[in-house]
Order: sequence, then structure tokens, then C-alpha cells
Amino acid sequence: MNTIQRIPAVFFFEWRRALTVPRLAWMLALMAFPPVLLWLVRATARSEPPIEIAAVLVYVLSPCVACMMSVFLWATPALSSELEGRSWVYLAVRPHGPLSVLLGKYLVAVSWSIPVGLVSSTAGVLALRVDEPVDLIVVQCALSVLSCVTYSALFLLIGVLAPKRAMVMGVLYAVIFEAALALVPAAVNLLTVQYRLRCLLVRWMDFDVSMVRRSDVLREYFGDESATWHVGILLAMTISYLVTAGVLLRYREFTAASETDT
Amino acid sequence: MTLLQLNHVTRLYGTVIGVNDISLSLASGAHGLLGPNGAGKSTLLNLITGQLSPTIGSVRVLGLAPRSSHQLLQRIGYLPGSEGMYADVSAIEWVTYLTRLQGFGAYDAKTLALQALERVQLAEHMHRKISAFSRGMRQRTRLAQAIAHGPEFLILDEPFSGLDPIARHTMTTLLQQWISDGRSLLISSHVLYEIELLTRSFLLLSGGRLLASGAADDIHTLLANVPSEVRLRVDRPREMAAEMLRDNLIDSVRITDDGELHVTTTLSAQLSQFIGQTFLDERYCVTEVRSADDSLQDVFNSLMKIHRGIA
Repeated sequence: MNTIQRIPAVFFFEWRRALTVPRLAWMLALMAFPPVLLWLVRATARSEPPIEIAAVLVYVLSPCVACMMSVFLWATPALSSELEGRSWVYLAVRPHGPLSVLLGKYLVAVSWSIPVGLVSSTAGVLALRVDEPVDLIVVQCALSVLSCVTYSALFLLIGVLAPKRAMVMGVLYAVIFEAALALVPAAVNLLTVQYRLRCLLVRWMDFDVSMVRRSDVLREYFGDESATWHVGILLAMTISYLVTAGVLLRYREFTAASETDT
Repeated sequence: MTLLQLNHVTRLYGTVIGVNDISLSLASGAHGLLGPNGAGKSTLLNLITGQLSPTIGSVRVLGLAPRSSHQLLQRIGYLPGSEGMYADVSAIEWVTYLTRLQGFGAYDAKTLALQALERVQLAEHMHRKISAFSRGMRQRTRLAQAIAHGPEFLILDEPFSGLDPIARHTMTTLLQQWISDGRSLLISSHVLYEIELLTRSFLLLSGGRLLASGAADDIHTLLANVPSEVRLRVDRPREMAAEMLRDNLIDSVRITDDGELHVTTTLSAQLSQFIGQTFLDERYCVTEVRSADDSLQDVFNSLMKIHRGIA
């Protein structure tokens, strides 16, 4: 039995452990806050918001914030929680154990977060009461799935890179790269997940951003590539994050000093 | 077959030495790894289980390199020094999960986990959450995860730590059974009598160095010229000590505040004869004599003295 065959064991075990009241409460809170905020926005607006505004509002709150927070809470501490709980050693001495645990926990993070994205996106669009909401719901759900898949791998990698400060590093990365630098129309934003998701939103919603593209400064803000290209890049990023995390797990030594007497 | 082969193994943590130039070869069987806290026992076990790589040298367990061999991990069972169990799951869930990670299917893993928990006498409580277990029950659960997949080599890091006498007895019985089944065991401890109940083959570690290895008797041979300490309770300790010094029977002498006479000697036989004769002659009233016995504690103390340059 190799790594692939062990992953379901980790997946189902971690899922069972996750079914606790606090975890479910977090999930419900993350599902609820985008539609609640959007409902408040709609309640104070005099008229139905333009589809572009509606799409951006839902996009920011659901695929960006809700999905990112959900995977952040799941994927970032995947390794550090085991190290802090001193349970890593039991997993590390199993054949293919570290990689199986890594990938199993990745799937848990994705499968736990996708419902958050789907529910919050759908409810968010409905809360805005836009005409013909189906297309917008489909796009936001697709973006949510991609967001969960890619961000889970990214935060998992951050957790493996800096297991002792995983949550802090995760927050710093999210704020500096995904919130700040992703909004800078420069080459650096090409490296962010936000840039790809934003480009996909524009493509799939068929927004007219020709005015923005005519600006020298903002030309790189929405990109010129096809949606397929961006999806491919997101999947490639996901795979590269997971492979890097797997290689690090294989070659780094994670035995906590406190676990040893010397 | 060679169980364990270490070739000039050194492990550094930055500038701190975890283990220092250890070479040894162990055959199949039970072996004790002894040393005080901070001796490097856990580092050595981490090297043996492949969690750490040696900075210098090589480690072979059952002929395989532990850091790169998944096959080896199928053949060893490890009970680490730290607890690290999930408190929110039951014993059967936890042991089954870890057995599945060994490569068994769901049904087989559960069957093996059940057998292991029965073996450590926990089947009755296996559906209780681990958080509700006593220290002894948790320790037995940890042993169950180490043996569930049927390893041929069991590695235990301080398995008696924190156990009450009854739990220690239970653990000792389980390990004696394991050894009598003909399987190999490496057990670390800083409490020597616990090891003596399981094996007479041991490794002594201190300051990251291997002080000695082999059977207890081999170590005694090394100690032929090491002074042993004798303690006496006698009515006139000063006169008796003076007589011993005059006859060159002792190397050092000390009289404690409560009048106990402590002497060290390399002439144990002659000193015994002297004490016996004074008793027969009724020159002194000797009420108690305590001398070095064959326990590992004395062997260990003597080796530590040699290592520190005291002896």
C-alpha cells in the first residue's frame, strides 16, 4: 500500500475528529457572514446594484475572504498542530506516513471549505436580489472551488515551511501578498492567487475592462490570458505547492527538541 | 542477524552534541539503553527510527537505512518518550488509524488494533476517549499502537515513565512476554532496575557518548580495578577506619554525621575478611554492612566515575 492508498485513512479519520460543535459553528459563521453583509448592503441600497458591483461584492466576501479564512484555519496548522501536540512522531514512523497525512489533511481542508464557498456564494448572490442570478452563482461557486483548492495547498505549504509560526506566517502572507501586493498592477501580482481569481471573474462574467487595459499602469491588472490559462496556472500552483510541501516533509527533520532529552 | 549497526554516529544540534561518535553492533534480542536525563538516549532512538539523520556516520537497522526505508518502518514499532496522543478519540480509533497508516486495510487494521489492545489488557476500555484514561492506560495504549502491526523490532523510549507500581508491573509483564516470544526489543530508561527485569544486555550512555555496552558481567570485568564502596555501622568507626588504613585495605574513608563509616576499596575480598574477623573477635560491634551488589546501578555509578575521571 502506498501513499495514495493511505490518504483515505487520514481523510476519514480527520473528518470524524472535525465533527465537533466549535468546528461546525465556525463553518456556519463563515457560511453566513457574506450573505448577511450583502443583505445589509442590499437593504440600504435604493436600487438593484449593477451586475459588476454585485459580482465584485460577492467575489470579495465569498471566494476571497470566506474561503480563504476557512482553508487558513484548516490547512495552515496541519503540521504545527501535530508537532505542538507531539503526535507527529507517531505519524512520522509509519511508511509514507508524513506525505499521507499531508495530502489527507489537504483534502480535509478542501472538502471542509468548499461547502463554505458554495453556500456563502449562492446565499450572497441571492441576498443581493440581482436579476438572473444563475450565471453569477455558477461563476462565484467555480471561483470558490478554485480558491479552496489553491489556497489550501498554499497555506499547507506555509505551515510546513514555518511550523513553529504557522498561523502568524499565514496571516502575514495573506495580508502582504494576497491582500496588498495582489492589488498592485505589477509583475509581482502574477504570483498571487488573487490575481488569477480576479482575472477569471472578469473572463467568466464577461466584464468590459477595455478602459482599464488601455491604461499603462493598470494594463496588467486583469491580464490578457484566457480563462483556461488562468485555471491551468492555478492548478499548476496547487500541484507545485503540494509537491514542495511533500519534499520538505521528506527531507526536513521535524522532531521537536522538546520531544528529546537531548 | 544484526539488529542494529551504528558506525561512528555523531548527531549535532547546531553546536550542541546530541550523540558523539557512537559505534556499536547489536544482535537480535532484548537490549537496554541506559543513561541519565540528557544522555542522548532519545536522540539515539530518533536516529534509529529515522526521524533524525546522523551528522556523521551511518545507522543501519535490520540492515536498512532508517531515514530512507519505508520497508524498515513496516518492521519496527516505536513508543516515543512523549505522550502525544489525540485526546478526543477512543483507543480503538487511534490504534486503528495508526495501523492503517502502516498499510493495512480498514478491516485488517481494526482487527489488529483490537488484538493489540487485548494484549495490553485494554479491550474492555477501548471505546473510551483517551482523555478519560489514566496514565497507565495511556501508556498501554501507546504500546498497543507500537505492536499492533506485528513488528519484529520494538523500540521503547522511557515506557515506565510516570507509571505507578501496578502499571509498571503490567508493562514489565507485557514486555517480558514480548521477549519470550523471541522478538527484539530496545528499551531506554534512566531507572536501572526496570531494565534489569527485562534484559542483561545494555548500553550505557552519558553526555552523548557510549560509556559501555554488553552484558552486565562484561561490564563487571571492566570494573575490576574500580574501587567499590562499603558502608558500615559500627560502635567505634574511627578506630576501625584507622585499623583498615594501617593494613592498607582501603583507599578512602569518610564518617558521616550519624556515625556511619563509608570506605572505598579495590581489595573487596580482603576487606570482607577483615570485617568478618573483627566480628568474630568481638573487637567491634558491627551492626550493618552494605557493600556493592550486582545491580546495574552500581555498575552505572562506577562507569560514570571512570568517565568523569573520578575513579
